Amino acid sequence: MAIPLVSKLLRAHLLELASKDERLDGRGRWEGRETNLEIDILPRAEGSAKVTMGDTIVYAGVKFQLMKPYPDRPNEGGLMCGAEVRPVAGRNWEPGPPSAESIELGRVVDRGIRESGCIDVKSLCIIPGEKAWQVILDLFAISDDGNLFDAFALAGIAALKTATLPCERFEVGQDQKLELSSLPIMCSYHKVGNRFVYDANYKEELGGDERIHITLGEDDHVHSLQKGLKGIFSAEEFVEIMEKAKDTSKELRKLVNSVVGE
Amino acid sequence: MGGYGDIEMIDENGLRMDGRTATDVRPITIETGVVPVADGSCRMTWGTNDVIVAVYGPMEAHPRKIQRQDRAVLDVRYNMAPFSTTDRIRPGFNRRSREISKVTSDALESVVLLEMYPRSKIRVEIEVICAEAGTRCVGLTAASVALAHAGIPMSDLVVSVASGKINDIVVCDLNKEEDNYGEADLPMGILPNSGEIVFLQMDGDLSQEEFQTAWDYNVAAAYEVHKIMIEALKNGGVN
Repeated sequence: MAIPLVSKLLRAHLLELASKDERLDGRGRWEGRETNLEIDILPRAEGSAKVTMGDTIVYAGVKFQLMKPYPDRPNEGGLMCGAEVRPVAGRNWEPGPPSAESIELGRVVDRGIRESGCIDVKSLCIIPGEKAWQVILDLFAISDDGNLFDAFALAGIAALKTATLPCERFEVGQDQKLELSSLPIMCSYHKVGNRFVYDANYKEELGGDERIHITLGEDDHVHSLQKGLKGIFSAEEFVEIMEKAKDTSKELRKLVNSVVGE
Repeated sequence: MGGYGDIEMIDENGLRMDGRTATDVRPITIETGVVPVADGSCRMTWGTNDVIVAVYGPMEAHPRKIQRQDRAVLDVRYNMAPFSTTDRIRPGFNRRSREISKVTSDALESVVLLEMYPRSKIRVEIEVICAEAGTRCVGLTAASVALAHAGIPMSDLVVSVASGKINDIVVCDLNKEEDNYGEADLPMGILPNSGEIVFLQMDGDLSQEEFQTAWDYNVAAAYEVHKIMIEALKNGGVN
C-alpha cells in the first residue's frame, strides 16, 4: 500500500473534533456505520457473504479442497484464511504480491476464527492420515473506506456459517452443512484525535494513530488481539474499549444470526 | 474446447439447454457506482457472470519512467477472485489473466482519448467475482461502462460478445455447459457507433461460412447489449 501524506490540517481537525466529542461524519464515539450483510450471493462458492459498512464493501467466499492430513495431526482437516486487497479497492492499494497490510488483515481474521474453535477440525477428517477437508476462506475487498478488519471478519464468519461441504462433487458422500459451534466477532478501535473510536472510516484511519482489534466469542471469551501501527495506549484505555467490544460484538452476532439463521 | 460432446446441446426446435435460440444472449444487468471510493465503477452481471470494474484517474503516473509525454498511460488489470470458479483459483497473476489484461488494454486504448491527459495514468481494475463463460467479454464491456461513468472521454463504448459452435451449430454467447463442450469460440469487441472492431480472438474450428455466421451474430448482439449499457449510464443506477 502506498503511504499517503497525512496533512497536518486533517490531524488538527480531528483533534479539534475530539475535544468536542464529535466525529468527521457526525457519528458518536462508539457508533458504527450502517452495516448490511448479504449471504449466498456467489453461485460458484460453497459459502459466501457480502458486507457493506458505509462505503466499505467486502466479499467473502468459502471453497473446499481435499487434502492429506498433516503427519502430526492425522485426524484433522485444515483451515486457511487469506485476505486480498487488490487495487480495485482504492487508489492507495497497489498491484503486486500481497502487501504487509493485507497479510496482517488475513492473519488477524484467521486467528480469531481458528482460535475460537468454531470449526471442529476433527469433523473435517474423512479417512485418518489419508483424506480430509481443507476449508479455504478468501476475503476480497471491493471498496476500502476504512475498517476492512471488521468487515472482513464479519463477512468471513457469515460465509462460513452458510457453507456447504461439496461431498457429492468430490464423491465422498452427501453434501452437508459446515457446522459452526460459535460465532467469533471482531471489533476494531482506532486512536483518532488522541482517543479511541469504534469503526474508523478511511479519513480517520489516515489522520489517526494506533489501532486495536479484539475478537470475542460466545460468553465474551477473548480469541484474538492485535495492536497495529505506531502509538501508545494505557491500560485504562484498553479496559474501556474491551467493555465496548463486549456490547458491540453481541449486536453484530445478533445481526449474523438474524441474516443466516441460528 | 472439449471436442465433440456426446450431450445434445440443441433440441429439434433449435432451442438450447437454457431455452435460448441460437442468437439470444444471456440476461444482462448493469449497475454503475458500485465502488463508492472509485472515480467510476460498474457491476455487470451476464448470465451468472458477475464482474466489478473500478476506474481510478486520471492520476499522477509514477514511477516517472512509465509516463508518456504526449498521452496518458492506461493500466488495465483483469483478475478472477479465488472463489469465482468451481475449483478455487490461487490468488495472483497467471499467464491467462496477463494476456486478457493486455488484449483488454489494447482494445480500450483504441477508444479512450488518452492524448487529453499527457503524463498521467488511468487505472482500470476488472474483478471477476463469479465466472460462468465469456468473462473477458464481460470485463471489456463493463470496463468501457466504468470509464464512461468516470467521465473519461472516449470515442465510443466497446461492446464485447462471443459466439461459438456446439454440435456443429453456430450459437451466440455460450454459457458454461456449452463452453465446456464447445468446438469454437470467437470473442469480438465492437464499437457500436461505427461498427469497427477493437478486439478479436478466436480458437477452435470454424468453416468460412460458420465464421461469417458467428461474426454476424456478434455484431447483431452487440447492438442489443449497447442499448442496455446506454440505459444504465443514463439512469446512473440499476438497469
